[in-house]
Amino acid sequence: MCQHSFGEFEEGVSEMSKKAAAKMGRRDFFRKAGLGAGAAGAAAAGLSATKGHASVPDKTAANNRGYRETEHVKKFYELAKF
Amino acid sequence: MAEGLARFEVSDEDYLRAQWYGLLARLLSAPPDQALLTIVRGLTGDDSELGRGIHTLATAARAATPEAVREEYFNLFIGVGRGELLPFASYYLTGFLNEKPLARLRDDMTELGIVRTDDVKEPEDHIASLCEMMSGLITGEFGEPVDLPRQRQFFATHIACWAPRFFDDLQAAESAAFYMPVGAIGSIFLSIESQAFEMAA
Repeated sequence: MCQHSFGEFEEGVSEMSKKAAAKMGRRDFFRKAGLGAGAAGAAAAGLSATKGHASVPDKTAANNRGYRETEHVKKFYELAKF
Repeated sequence: MAEGLARFEVSDEDYLRAQWYGLLARLLSAPPDQALLTIVRGLTGDDSELGRGIHTLATAARAATPEAVREEYFNLFIGVGRGELLPFASYYLTGFLNEKPLARLRDDMTELGIVRTDDVKEPEDHIASLCEMMSGLITGEFGEPVDLPRQRQFFATHIACWAPRFFDDLQAAESAAFYMPVGAIGSIFLSIESQAFEMAA
């Protein structure tokens, strides 16, 4: 019983580290692909001016757009070195 | 409720993916105005494939005027009668507009809580709309962030099966100057996305 539980625990851990490894691999992959570098203004440009073809039904979202964009641009510059 | 940035925790890489989709959406939904063109002129890229694409785009932007890009956009996507390219999933997949792929997209949009903005006339399967939807699904713009398997499914169903061909066509289009590197960037980015989805599977 104890043995069994331990086995399960081990399995849980390896499953978790596998997931973590996959996540790291993905992150590294994007980094090497240049997703952060070179995008400095690119991302800011992408966000700051999106016209909006698709939207949420909630109309109040549009009113907060300016605020949200400013925050996004700031966050983007933090990530420029990703 | 205010939709602040901090509403959802999104990882750095997912945040950046959303921005790339946003950039493509912005450039493909309408020609860039002076302000955006000025931003694009200042972009620099590293020596990754994507970085080189950005570098080429910045160079093209420096050689362009808003008027010239507007005319290019018109010739590429609108045209007299029709533009050089029809950037719609339905057209690329069936040869006609407003066919089954659009119906399937509308079903998925309903399920994901995405509605169309009132003042947009084009069908929803326009490349710019699809990029915008991917961006929103990643950041939680339409409710809450959608997990990777569902992002992957949306990507595979509505984008991967035709958009790479569209971006290749855009790169090769006769009318494309500013939009040639946009085609290259789209192509490279979608290929990165495809590979990353494979890794996550």
